[in-house]
Amino acid sequence: MGRAVRTSAKREYTSKNIMTKVEAVIQNSKLEAVKSALQEIGVEGMTVIEVRGHGRQKGHTEVYRGREYSVDLIPKTKLEVVLADGMVEKAVQAIITAARTGKIGDGKIFLTRVDEAIRIRNEERGEGAL
Amino acid sequence: MAASSLISELRSTLAEETARIAQEFASTGDGRRAVAQRTRVIEDILQRLWREFISADTGGPQNFALIATGGFGRGWLFPYSDIDLLFLHADRGGEEAHQASIRQFSQELWDLKLKLSPASRTLAECERFDANNTEFTISLLDCRYLAGDHALFARFHGKLIPKLVARESKALLQGLAEVTRERHAKSGDTVFHLEPNLKETPGGLRDYNVACWLAQISVMSKLGDWPDASSLRAPVRKQLDAALEFLMAARCFLHLRYGRDDNSLSWEAQDEAAARKTGAGQAADLTAADWMRIYFGHARAVQRTVTQLLEEIPEAWSALRRQFQGWRSRPSSPDFSVVDGMIFLQQSSSLQDPEMLLRLFHFMAEHGLKLSATTEHRIEQALPGLAVTPPRGAELWLYLQETLLQPHAAEALRAMHSLRLLTLLLPELKPIDSLVVRDYYHRFTVDEHSILAIESLHRLKQSQSEWDQRYAELLGELEDPQLLYLALLLHDTGKGVAGSNHVKSSLEIAGNCLDRLDVDAEERAMVLFLIGSHLEMSAQLRRDIFNPETVAAFAEKMGTPERLKMLCLLTYADIKAVNPEALTPWKAENVWQLYISSANYLSRSADQRVHGDGGSDKLARLRSLAPVTGGKFKDFVEGFPQRYLRVHSAEEVMRHMAMAEEFGHDKVQVDLKRGRHWYELTLVTKDRPSLFATLTGVLAAWGMNIVKAHAFSNQAGTVVDTLYFTDRFRTLELNLSEWQRFKQSVIDVLAGEADLDGMLRGRQRSEKAASIKVVVETRIDFDDQSSSTSTLLQVVAQDRPRLLHRISSCLSQQECNIEIALIDTEGQMAIDVFYLTSRGRKLTAELQKKVERALREELKGLEGR
Repeated sequence: MGRAVRTSAKREYTSKNIMTKVEAVIQNSKLEAVKSALQEIGVEGMTVIEVRGHGRQKGHTEVYRGREYSVDLIPKTKLEVVLADGMVEKAVQAIITAARTGKIGDGKIFLTRVDEAIRIRNEERGEGAL
Repeated sequence: MAASSLISELRSTLAEETARIAQEFASTGDGRRAVAQRTRVIEDILQRLWREFISADTGGPQNFALIATGGFGRGWLFPYSDIDLLFLHADRGGEEAHQASIRQFSQELWDLKLKLSPASRTLAECERFDANNTEFTISLLDCRYLAGDHALFARFHGKLIPKLVARESKALLQGLAEVTRERHAKSGDTVFHLEPNLKETPGGLRDYNVACWLAQISVMSKLGDWPDASSLRAPVRKQLDAALEFLMAARCFLHLRYGRDDNSLSWEAQDEAAARKTGAGQAADLTAADWMRIYFGHARAVQRTVTQLLEEIPEAWSALRRQFQGWRSRPSSPDFSVVDGMIFLQQSSSLQDPEMLLRLFHFMAEHGLKLSATTEHRIEQALPGLAVTPPRGAELWLYLQETLLQPHAAEALRAMHSLRLLTLLLPELKPIDSLVVRDYYHRFTVDEHSILAIESLHRLKQSQSEWDQRYAELLGELEDPQLLYLALLLHDTGKGVAGSNHVKSSLEIAGNCLDRLDVDAEERAMVLFLIGSHLEMSAQLRRDIFNPETVAAFAEKMGTPERLKMLCLLTYADIKAVNPEALTPWKAENVWQLYISSANYLSRSADQRVHGDGGSDKLARLRSLAPVTGGKFKDFVEGFPQRYLRVHSAEEVMRHMAMAEEFGHDKVQVDLKRGRHWYELTLVTKDRPSLFATLTGVLAAWGMNIVKAHAFSNQAGTVVDTLYFTDRFRTLELNLSEWQRFKQSVIDVLAGEADLDGMLRGRQRSEKAASIKVVVETRIDFDDQSSSTSTLLQVVAQDRPRLLHRISSCLSQQECNIEIALIDTEGQMAIDVFYLTSRGRKLTAELQKKVERALREELKGLEGR
């Protein structure tokens, strides 16, 4: 009663289908294997970024010529793909199988919801743009 | 009414003429003509519109004129270029009076879809110079009458402009030079882009215009009037005419292809241009790479002219150069003189001597100066003669090495290359001359990439970044950096050969080059190793560089610390020269990490032993050199660390073996020689306690400074110690007889027939303290894991006289036996690695502590001495 209701601005970009962004931080040496595994299940586009970071895997200290060089942000590779919901679990399994060594430092996968995808060339939207 | 029918008539005329010009260009490829034709078509339209909307008489109205400026004024109207127009009024009143008709006039032109770049000014406004808008004043240099008051134009052209230019020439030249330099810097100061912009990239049309303007302004400021054709430098015009023809044809082609003012030579455009042979006349079929070579040839000529003018016209000098204008200090040489920062030859016919030419470029590389136009001209004239008998062999290699080592080597190489001298001296570079290799990663042609790589290394010394400083230190440690530079110059020559494996091709080509330069076997092996492995480190980055197995495999491939260092720097330079952003901190860190892991691995794995029956290449080579000795060879080699074979050439191993044969006569065999960088003492004898300490003691007593050393022993207890030292007091250098006395001294001390302690005391008394520039903290580290049979000890300390003797004596006193010693010095830092045993076993923890205490005492005691 008398309470002002704020309607949120209508998001113009909500797509009908659900799309998910899969972000995986993996060991550099596993990039080729993960790429192949994804291509095999039909994933056609991906973005690869060189990153540095650490989780519980502690840094590395090397002594060279009497000086210490510590690497506390370890170089890793990040892979990003945006997929239709149906593909997500398959992709996650493919990444895990290809990237896993069983030791600390294998990496992590994060999933987030994507509101919209648009192809620049012809403005196609939604899953068709993936 | 009349107007609208005129417009539709003009529209159809324009369409017809444009189509006709395009068609004619398609069949003749004559860009100049196409551009001139379009100019006439537009002029015609402008004049007709003028008559319609401004004044029925093209010579009127009074005090108002239509003037073509910029490209239009030059008569260069490319299919989609803007049309530069100036509406000139005698005064403000005139400007206001004609405002409405000008608007209508312009509107019609817009309706015809002609892109105008109009300006409206009074005479007085033109006379005022705006330093922030030099472009406008410069566009007036090409002004041309189109319609309107002739008298007004005469005043404008005949009086106003010359006076303005004469008055403001300094500011104009400075402004133009600055803008040009900025533009060049954005493109990395090179013409050799894989996808150049015909207008903006160095060597393009903009540069051609700048060259003309620079020449024109400086002549006008002296004459106070417009120059006639003969006063503008004839050689400049001629050289550039061919370039202009080509560039015009190419730009017309691009405009018609894109349908807009887009001047970028994308790969697809290059393909098409080559197919149509744009600007190349009746040449045979061209690939895109061939066509681009023609382009680069012209672009180079244009760039050289612009650069020369920027150097020669004092007002166009950069601010930095102006600072040094009054500097008295000039590098002196009997052959060359330096005037205003440019190199001139002293005598008139000295280029008959090819050595003079080589000296010239060495001089250039040393001081970073540019060649004057006259010098370049004379070099060009001397080239045909040089081509008949080009310099080759050891002499050429000597000059080349020295040049490559100078701080401005890359600039000299570029100058040599642009004058076609580099490919004359090193024909192996011809296939990569201006070679465009298409990949999304590389920004420059292959030859520019190689020279840029060399430049990246020289630039390390000045860099402030933390990463670069680490690599700079490494560069300072190299024994033979000239081999690294040569490898960089040749590493991608294989890309000019068809086929997928450019490494293999580069090796073949480099092999020929090294033969021609008479490079000795060891140096040759190093250069070929570097070229053969130049992708190796980058390949490793795709693996897990923190995995010990990966590191071990890579380190084994490298074999020695020197090779590892060279390859690390080569990798750095190669990546840096791909494009300005290629060496990200991520990459730099990875490469460095792999380097230090591998370097550590090499120190810690020195004791993997050789087996006489083993099958390595080195062993095979050795066996082939000593067929007679058979069993003796196997016995000699058995049990030496792998490192022994890697560090010593096959010839050296043979010599050691020969020395060991002489044990019957003399139990202590000593060899002394002068090496490339240091003196080399080799001792071959049977092992005994304190051997290493005693040996280093003798050298210390003679005032020698040990820079590097290796000590190895084999299964049979034969020791081969090699000490590399500098002769601080020039004892050996000044007295030949001392060589024999020195060697005898070693033998006597080892035989117990001379008093080492006495000698050392004597030396100590006569010495002063060394100055310490960089303080190095003492570090002592033990490692029980890396070797299965020994304990590793690494000592890092301030380098001082007698340091090594004191350390090894101390170890001896603690009853440690030195199995292997790897001694190195970098600047003022000594890095000594010992593989120790005590009573045939690794050192106990207790003994390690004892040794550490004793060493620290000893090293403290040496302070200030």
